[in-house]
Amino acid sequence: MSAHTATVSAALPASSTASAAGRALTIGLVGIALTALGLFVSDSHGVAMSWLVGITFWTAIAIGMLMLILIHHIFDASWSVVLRRQYEHGLAAFKWLALLFLPLLIVSWLKPGFIWNWMDLNHELHGHGTVGTDVLYLKKASFLNPGMFTGMTVFFFLSWMWLAARLRKASFTQDADGSVGWTHVNRKTAAFGLPLGALTLTFAAIYWVKSLEYHWFSTMYGVWFFANCVRGALAVGVLIMLWLWARGDYKGILNNNHWHSIGQLSFAFTVFWAYVTFSQYFLIWNANIPEETFWYNLREINADGSPNQWKYVGIIGILFGHFVVPFLFLLSYKHKLNHGKMRFISIWILAVILLDICYNILPALKDVHGNALPLFNLNLLWTLTAVVGIGGVCVWAYLRSFPTTKLIPIRDPRIGECLTHHE
Amino acid sequence: MRDAGFKHWDCITPFPVHGLDKAMGVKRSIVPRFSLAGGILGFCTGMSLIWWTGAVDYPLIVGGKPYFSPMFAFPVAYELTILFTAFATIGGMFFLNGLPKHYHPVLKYDQIKRGMDDLFFIVIESRDPRFHATNTRTLLEKAGGTQIQELEA
Repeated sequence: MSAHTATVSAALPASSTASAAGRALTIGLVGIALTALGLFVSDSHGVAMSWLVGITFWTAIAIGMLMLILIHHIFDASWSVVLRRQYEHGLAAFKWLALLFLPLLIVSWLKPGFIWNWMDLNHELHGHGTVGTDVLYLKKASFLNPGMFTGMTVFFFLSWMWLAARLRKASFTQDADGSVGWTHVNRKTAAFGLPLGALTLTFAAIYWVKSLEYHWFSTMYGVWFFANCVRGALAVGVLIMLWLWARGDYKGILNNNHWHSIGQLSFAFTVFWAYVTFSQYFLIWNANIPEETFWYNLREINADGSPNQWKYVGIIGILFGHFVVPFLFLLSYKHKLNHGKMRFISIWILAVILLDICYNILPALKDVHGNALPLFNLNLLWTLTAVVGIGGVCVWAYLRSFPTTKLIPIRDPRIGECLTHHE
Repeated sequence: MRDAGFKHWDCITPFPVHGLDKAMGVKRSIVPRFSLAGGILGFCTGMSLIWWTGAVDYPLIVGGKPYFSPMFAFPVAYELTILFTAFATIGGMFFLNGLPKHYHPVLKYDQIKRGMDDLFFIVIESRDPRFHATNTRTLLEKAGGTQIQELEA
């Protein structure tokens, strides 16, 4: 069945995006339906966390695309002009991500404390009173309260959607009228969009993920999230390049140096991610203050001192999977030019980003002793269905936007430089 | 020239010509091998420096930490990785390209400075195994060369 549809789409490349978009939406809706089914099968708290993992993962990639476009404009970059158009299509996902975030907000108002336990002032803390009497909460209460959370989340999505709309309109209109003024508009958008994007993504990471353990603090958190966002967007960018190359659209457009450049950027952000993540761990390890170390202890040992699954996730998945493997792999010039190898490492990077987000979110699920629930339980299934479900909707949004414009921004002032990109 | 199998030859052009490396059959530089070796050496130096000073030569408890842990040795190892990589890259480049070079036989040619202005040169060295005074001259003439000169080393 799937082989049959693949042959059809290969034979009709021009019309294939419509059917591919339809397939993506079907997969997305099936994923969402399966996740909803999970509410009846397992603990609904866990399913909600799985949904949070899925929405954070895909929002991170969309934010990464947004930031890469803004960085492209602020530096007046040339080699990435052709890829920028695909990222602009990717930004179409923001409004659907906002819609898919809505269930989490609604649940937070209907059942306060269900996902973010600080929303319920009567929530029992493990061994010391309730949230409402906790000085560490009261000091942060003007920041961490349901009203602020809702308002800020709405503000995040509105900011991203607004920036996306501005960037898309300027770029798409330029195809038609060729006015260089649109490039200047984009440059201005980038000038205020970068600080706006940096602040919103930082606060989003703090509200959505970090506040799951509201006692904890880390000034590296926003940067950690940013690094994952950009790495995810670059990996998706490589996969899009491979897809358009295989379809034939990008033949004659991309040369070796485009592949080399995106490989270099992927490599650079691998190092950047490692630098930030290690710094966060190292400073907490070195200072050894209980208010901070508990977050890593939760991800390493149970209350009785025995190691839990997250310890191995941290060492094997995060240290080696997220850093050492991509680092050594992307060091090589030849690997960056090899399509098969870049496909492998991009999928690898997306998988470990998902694991990293799981590592940050899922240990908030605890058993009666306050130990983190292991990674491998039934809940992982709902995490995967949520990721596939939300991902299907994002891919559908991308594919729906894809045929509405030219393949590359043909009248961008830098397009000539981009097409003759050299080292 | 590449297809004629010459090895010791070079081009002198007034500006960078894209694709010249490929036309000349020049492979990618092996400087990255030097860089990698420098990086590994730097990392090991940093780690062993902290381990040897802190855990072997003068064991001292600092801040309740173990004598040695890769955790606090890492920043040092990381910095030395970068430093040694930079040294190896620069050193490897100079080692491979033979710079600084104060003298080269082409300097005897009075027009050579125009290679930085408006002339293109091909230099074939007589130490090349395929070099032959008359045949090479004919080959250069066939390739469209003018003003072919023999220079004494």
